[in-house]
Order: sequence, then structure tokens, then C-alpha cells
Amino acid sequence: MRNEARWGYLLTLPFSLNLLVFFAFPFFFSLYLTFTQWDMFNAPDWIGGRNWSRLIQDASFWYSLRNILLFAAIFVPLQTILALVLAYFLNQSIRGKSFYRMLYFLPVVTPWLAGGTMWGWLLNKTYGMVNYMLTSLSLPPVDWLDSKQWWLPITSVALVNVWKGVGSSMVILLAAIQGVPKDLYEAASLEGANRWSVFWRIVFPLVSPMIFLVLVLSTISAFQAFDVFLVMFDSPNVVPDSKVTPNILIYKDAFLTTKMGYASAMSWALFIVILAVTLVQKRFEKRWVHYE
Amino acid sequence: MLSTSLKAGMNVSKLPPQWIPSPVVWSNYADVWVKVDFARYTFNSFVIVIADVIGTLLSCSMVAFGMAMFTFRLKKVLYLGMLATLMLPFQVTMIPGYFIWKSFGALDTYYPLIVPTFLGGSFGIFLLHQFYKSTTKELYEASKIDGCGPWTALWRIYFPLSRAVLSALAVFTFMGAWSNTIGPLLYLHDKEMFTLPLGLLFLRSDVGLEQQILMAAAVIVTLPVVVVFLFAQKQFVEGIASTGLKG
Repeated sequence: MRNEARWGYLLTLPFSLNLLVFFAFPFFFSLYLTFTQWDMFNAPDWIGGRNWSRLIQDASFWYSLRNILLFAAIFVPLQTILALVLAYFLNQSIRGKSFYRMLYFLPVVTPWLAGGTMWGWLLNKTYGMVNYMLTSLSLPPVDWLDSKQWWLPITSVALVNVWKGVGSSMVILLAAIQGVPKDLYEAASLEGANRWSVFWRIVFPLVSPMIFLVLVLSTISAFQAFDVFLVMFDSPNVVPDSKVTPNILIYKDAFLTTKMGYASAMSWALFIVILAVTLVQKRFEKRWVHYE
Repeated sequence: MLSTSLKAGMNVSKLPPQWIPSPVVWSNYADVWVKVDFARYTFNSFVIVIADVIGTLLSCSMVAFGMAMFTFRLKKVLYLGMLATLMLPFQVTMIPGYFIWKSFGALDTYYPLIVPTFLGGSFGIFLLHQFYKSTTKELYEASKIDGCGPWTALWRIYFPLSRAVLSALAVFTFMGAWSNTIGPLLYLHDKEMFTLPLGLLFLRSDVGLEQQILMAAAVIVTLPVVVVFLFAQKQFVEGIASTGLKG
């Protein structure tokens, strides 16, 4: 072997190990598990497609998919649009720029357990601040997190998730907007373009690859959301169907009732959904993303 | 959050909310330490986070350097593997991962939360790889002429050179590890081994409605990351801007 290749293999050895042991092996092992019944103490028991057929008939699982789809449908566009608007304005020369950057980034670094605890308290039906403000505007109080209407708690949590995540998308987009060449702005103002058309004709197309990246990343993170549901709702073993998400179900089945095979089937179903959504996004990419 | 953490129990749910608590009850903070072993959790959190940061910086530098500077046949495979791991949901590898550590008898130890970071994470490798590729070939040639082997070149020249990226990566790692809930939730069951987020999670069910204690605990958990963020803010924002993430 050439000397160079030897160094290449040697230096990347830790990561090769990581890929094999913690990704490749788990990937195939978990696929195998979806066809078994396994409690982790005895050997896995091959049961063919029974987990999968049970999955299709499992009402809780369909509720969880419905919930996570609504969650993603609210969270992803809202977070991306908000992040873009904030990044655009923070790129202008306004006062206290770094204060605002910090203000939006602070939630990102706040651990979910702390941030979620705070929001659970703000949104509390009887003594929460949000309802207090509603009632002082003589509006009826809203049961944000425990409403009978299934979409309301999911929406509340999606909004809290935007609060938490918008800063990180914003920083990425801010970096992209700062990369737009200054002379393009000057040329545009010479031609008498207004702010709105500068944004749509210049900034948006140039930044669109990063917007796409942010969109894909936040979609993946939306479907993988776990902490937010863990802290906003009750403990995983008592979450009702109306508020359940795939990850809560997977966690519950795997680690609270040790049904590893069924939990693996659910995690694969989730993986397939994420993959499908990402591929759809990729298909529409050409329509609006502009590469130089 | 801060305001509530200093309130007396009866004033917590008073409406309109008292912005400035009176009386100021500092003892809520002391109560946190009495009710649960927060000192122990803090120690656990710090051990894990510091090891994670060291592990990530060393291993990612090494792997990224190997991938950026040398050509070898499996390089493409590694690169694809790196991108794939970013896509694969954690839930898919969660159960076998748990099984691996269980069969090593490593549950309730720091290892499951530390060892993987010493093997290089995709995100850090990706960042550093972009950075190393942007350095000139001449630099490497010059170091060779001066008698540096690849190993010395990596640690004496490239590692210090990437300080800006490394500090951004360190901050990312610190924050990720500090707030990690699912990892400790899976691998740590013994209260002695709990990290702060886990302590907070169980405190929630223990203290129930004593919001002021809960908020005090939440402040304690948040404070270190906020402090690190305030100090590192500049590197953090510029680190992202300067590392090819621009697209």
C-alpha cells in the first residue's frame, strides 16, 4: 500500500470504527429486529411481517403520524420564514444588532428541560401568564396544552419549538445573507429598485441554497423531535393518543414495555416517512432554488 | 423564570404576576440542593461534557485531516457514510445502540455518553474537512520539507491553525452535551449517575406544583450554557460564517 493511503486509513480509523459499530451494525440489526419479537434478554424470535401488519392496524401509531405531520407542517415553514425575515433585518445596520442576535439565540442554548418547564408554566390554563394576558384583554382563556381539540396542544408545542429553534436557522441564513456581494445592492439601487424587489430578485435567489438546507434540516429535526414532547406533555407512559408522537411511542415500547421488535418497526416507519418527505422536498428544489 | 425562582410559594400563581418578587426567597436555590443531589448531577454533567469536548476536538481534527489531505480508495465511502449519519434518525440506531452498551455491561457508566465522541462525529468532521480543504497545498509541502511527518504536521500546524473552527465546534459540543436528555435517559438509571437535565426531569415529578423550586433548578441548569455562550458568542456566529457552511 502506498504511504499516503496508509496515513489516510490510519487517521480516519476512529470514524470508520464509529460508522461500523454505531451506525452500520445498528442500521441492519434494527431492520432485522423489525421482523422479530425481542425483549432484549432472550434471543430475538423471528415472527415475519407480524410487527408490520400490527403497525398498520395500530390506531395510536396513525394518531402519532397525524400529530407529527401537523407539527412539521406548522413548525418547518414558520421557523424558516421567521428565520429569513429576522436574518434579513439583522443584516441591515440597526442599533443593538448583537443584542438582538443574542436575544434570538438564547433559546437555542437553553436546555429543553429548562425552556420547556418555563413554557409549561406560561401556558398553564389556570395560572399561566398567557391566559392572564388574554383575560385582561377580556378574551376567553385557552387550554393550550390540555385541550380536547387535538390540534391545539400540537400547535402550541410547534410554536414553542419555533421559539427554541428559530435562532439557529437564523444564524445560518445570516451568514448566507452576509455573503451576498455588496455591489449587487449598489447596482440595484442605481436602477431604482425598491427594498421589496431587492429582496425578491437578489437576496432570495442567492440565498436560496441555504434556505433549502435550513428547510431540510428543520424538517428532519421536526420528525425527530423528542425532548419538546417529553417536557411539554406528561411522562411518556401516560400520553393520550391525541398528543402522542412516533418518538414517544418508540421510547415507550422499547424502554418501558421492552417490545424491541415492534419499536424497531415503528422507528423504520418513521425513517421511511422522513425519507419520503425529504425526497419530495428535493423534487421541488429545482423549482425555486438557484445555484450559480 | 428568574423572577419565579425567587418567589415565596404562595406568590407563585398570584395574578397579576409579581415581576419583582417580594419577599425575595433565596432559599429556593438552597432547597434545590437539599431536595435532590444537584451537586452530584452537576459533577456528572461536567465530567461528561468536558470529556465530550476533548474527544470531539481531537478525533474530528484527526479524521478530517486524514480525509482532506490523503487519497485512498475508501474515502468516498467514508464521505457518504458521514452524510448518511446526519440523515438517519436517532431512533433507528437507538435500540441496537442500547443493546451494544448493555452487552458491554456499560449501562450506568459514563462510557456510552463519552466513547462515541472520541470516534469522531459527522458534524465536526464536516466542518473541519471544509476548513482543511481550503488551506493551500503549499503549506503541507512546506511542512514536509521542514521534516514534519503527517502526524506532527497535524498537531503542530493544522490543529492550531483551525483554532477558530475548533472553538465554534467546542461550543456546539458543549451545548449539545449539556442539554442532552435522551442519551442519559437511556443509559443512566442510577440516580448517582444522573446529569442535570435528567435531575430536572425527575425533579418535575417529585416536587409537583412547587414551581418556584422547579424554576430555581431550571435557572441552575441554564446558567452554564448561557455563560459559555456569552463568552463564545463571537466565535460561534463567525465560526459558522467562516466554515463553508455558506454553501
